[in-house]
Amino acid sequence: MEQNPYLPITMKLIKNLCETEDKLINTFTLEFLSKEDEENFKYMPGQFAELSAYGAGEAPFGIATSPTEPGIIKFSVAKVGCVSNALHLMEEGTMVGVRGPMGNYYPMEEFKGKNLVIIGGGFAFTTLRSMAVYMLDEKHRADYGDITVIYGARNPGLLLYKEELAEWETNPNINLVTTIDRPAEGWTKRVGFIPTITEEVAPSSVNTYAVVCGPPAMIKYTLPVLEKLGFPPERIYTSLEMRMKCGLGICGRCNIGPKYVCKDGPVFSMAQLKELPSEY
Amino acid sequence: MVYLKYKTGGEQMSSIVDDIRATARQLLTDGKVDVVIGYEKGSLPLKATPCFVRSPQDIDKLIWDETCENNLAAFSTLTEGKKAIIAKGCDSRALVVLLQENQLVRDDLYIIGVSCQGVINKKKIEAETGEILEASIADGKVTVKGMVCDKEYTFTEVKDASCQTCRYPNPVLEDIHIGGSIDVPQQAAVFADVAEMENKTAGERQAYFQEQMSKCIRCYACRNACPLCYCKECFVDCNSPKWLTGGVDQAENLFFQAGRVLHLAGRCVECGACSRACPQDVDIRALNRKMSKDVFTMYKHESGISMDSNPALNEYSADDPEAFLVKE
Amino acid sequence: MKITKEKFGQSFDALAADYQIIAPVSDAGGVNYKAVKSFSEVKQDYLNSKLPPKSFLFPQHEKLLSYKKEGKDVTIKNELKVGKSILFGVRPCDAKAMLLLDKVFKNDEYTDPYYYERRDNSVIIGLACNKISPTCFCSSMSISPASSEGSDIFLIDLGDSYQVEVITEKGKALMAGLEELVELSAEEQALVDTIKSAQTASKVDVSTITAKLDKMFDSPFWDTLHEKCLSCNACSFACPTCHCFDISEEVHKNEGSRVRTWDACMAPLFTLHGSGHNPRDKKKARWRQRMMHKFNYFVHNNGDIACVGCGRCIKSCPVNLDIRQVIDGVNNVELVVD
Repeated sequence: MEQNPYLPITMKLIKNLCETEDKLINTFTLEFLSKEDEENFKYMPGQFAELSAYGAGEAPFGIATSPTEPGIIKFSVAKVGCVSNALHLMEEGTMVGVRGPMGNYYPMEEFKGKNLVIIGGGFAFTTLRSMAVYMLDEKHRADYGDITVIYGARNPGLLLYKEELAEWETNPNINLVTTIDRPAEGWTKRVGFIPTITEEVAPSSVNTYAVVCGPPAMIKYTLPVLEKLGFPPERIYTSLEMRMKCGLGICGRCNIGPKYVCKDGPVFSMAQLKELPSEY
Repeated sequence: MVYLKYKTGGEQMSSIVDDIRATARQLLTDGKVDVVIGYEKGSLPLKATPCFVRSPQDIDKLIWDETCENNLAAFSTLTEGKKAIIAKGCDSRALVVLLQENQLVRDDLYIIGVSCQGVINKKKIEAETGEILEASIADGKVTVKGMVCDKEYTFTEVKDASCQTCRYPNPVLEDIHIGGSIDVPQQAAVFADVAEMENKTAGERQAYFQEQMSKCIRCYACRNACPLCYCKECFVDCNSPKWLTGGVDQAENLFFQAGRVLHLAGRCVECGACSRACPQDVDIRALNRKMSKDVFTMYKHESGISMDSNPALNEYSADDPEAFLVKE
Repeated sequence: MKITKEKFGQSFDALAADYQIIAPVSDAGGVNYKAVKSFSEVKQDYLNSKLPPKSFLFPQHEKLLSYKKEGKDVTIKNELKVGKSILFGVRPCDAKAMLLLDKVFKNDEYTDPYYYERRDNSVIIGLACNKISPTCFCSSMSISPASSEGSDIFLIDLGDSYQVEVITEKGKALMAGLEELVELSAEEQALVDTIKSAQTASKVDVSTITAKLDKMFDSPFWDTLHEKCLSCNACSFACPTCHCFDISEEVHKNEGSRVRTWDACMAPLFTLHGSGHNPRDKKKARWRQRMMHKFNYFVHNNGDIACVGCGRCIKSCPVNLDIRQVIDGVNNVELVVD
């Protein structure tokens, strides 16, 4: 029989790390229990999985690791509901359930030979990190042109993956611009909202794709900037969030028009979104 | 107020309709309200449907008869702007409770009161005649052509259960009264139906409610038709804590229905909208009636009968019965 | 060909040994599909059930898996178990609805095993409608009171016998034991012809509705349509094609199960994000979704309108929001040409 897509595989929570100063976002590192499980979990940057905290329930989260990082997958999760709360409180070593990978992914093939501008705000940086790590991998780096990352948060304490960001600062393979909303003590880098900083950095749109993820307001004000810089809607991608349950395009709640975000998305180009009703 | 005996489907009714329309026209043209919430003819026989009139050209849609069964107070909290609502006795009681609970602004509400001698329970008729193909109401008689048989009923025979026990057919709060008013029937025992249930053995009652609850499909039509179930998040939808499961067995269903009754303690206005809305014909009212009786006998309280009376749960007296407290 | 009800009943009772037989019985002041052991329990004369038979393929409340936690460990058990079933007396609208559900529960990537295990192990015995309710409008949805589409075996009630049509291989296999088929008399043939040519009196026009709705997402039509809706789930739960569901957890101490339950797009919390954002927080958006899903999105995704004209939503709606009038309303909208 075909695999039952409602049955999670069991994975071990090997690290439960608090990412942010406000203690609202934790990164969970999960370890595959067998080679077979890992073989069956072939994913690409941008995909998500349904994570089960047994006793609380199941919820969808973007995969923060890249397929180039073997043995584990990571999720960075904000504490908002009953599943994420249970996960935050979970002891390392606890077994969790994972269904996936689900949904589509960033068009890494289409991006080949192109420059990439990755723009992220707040904790919506997870699958963007996956994509950046994927491209930085030595097997893939030559496939892509310049990589620029513009990443912002309200304050320095709310930036995810701080150690990795520090490493990127000095990595010649990636151009990292970090920003915070308002000046803060000890912060020597840029200050300002993402749309403004994007305008300042003014990445060239020639032979370039932009991928934007963040709160709705950030996306709303960044798009006109990209447009001004000459990015056509077909070369701007984003990843959407929706309330989801099955993750299989069946249960009926995450649709935008005839498209199900869980299965036809979560990654859409702005050109695709323009064809859909603005109900998200 | 002059008592006028009014007949079903007769001239009195048509003059009430004229007066409702005239009032609605006046209110809309004077800009006193943005919308008049009333009834129009439904798509099925013996079924009126709620109607939202915003422009004078739609006014002639408004009707009034014994098929106007929905409690329009349910829409008062869902509809924005200044609104006029056609209110029967029970609807007006619901509006009073909503006002007392600060869910409505009195100045945004214009109550067009109409006395009501009861509404027809269509399900009661269809149980005998099968689906109704055609029906007419005239001179206190309801004539039905059904898929199984044709039958003529007196209005009293097909009156909804909640109207059989109604003590407030006349609106208790209104800005204008249309038509005559109705003599409040003297009932020997106001809660005779509850007493009958109470006189059954515990086993009989359990069997009855198990049967009733097994029919429930948890569509929440009862809750949503209830003007006083206005919680933004109902306890049944809450997931932390999760009070009950999505299971549809009679135990879970009873937990839902009993929870609703408790939330309506001292608030339920006995309009029967819950039972009439139920597509599965669950006797929801039986539970609410018992609660109404208990609140009445213990606290001498009837909900929503006057703006001046304090809601039962807002009042404390040293003499309150405390039978539920553990005594030494 | 026909079989007497007496003979049919004997075979029916014999099949009950191997199959769970779901058939119409008197229930809840009307008729509903329930498991029966004998043909004598089956309600003979009925228009249609109050609730559609979809719940036997897609139960309102169903365990997907169960688990047991011990310390940091967890053991998971698949709860998928299905036996052979016969759904007897399924009306043409409901049989067609199952074909539509088939498309939902299998897409280009996933097959829902809970639905399909039941589906593949069920035989549908359809039954023509000799009487037509005033709220029936299947004839407008490319179905008719005697269409056999979706049935494995199709019966027409001739009083003391059934006219039998074997439609699929599955039906043929079930009928293999039935050697008792005899020819129809001339009068019976005439009766069959009459039933087969019947149409519902109530009609709607859906010939252009999908294309019309393509252009109507922002139409003011939706501004008032929803006003009398109470946002309950009565229409969705009564609908043979509605299939939205929720997945939740039921826990007792260290054991629990993951269940799916019917849900509906009419419920305000259906699309509520964890963040508090809700793309369809207004009744207007939810009613538009209901119409769009049935008459537009479903057509784009699956090639068919997701309404079979059974009329159950009309009968169950507490405020008489009649979908036929909504369809007429869409047809009457004048599109603003820009």
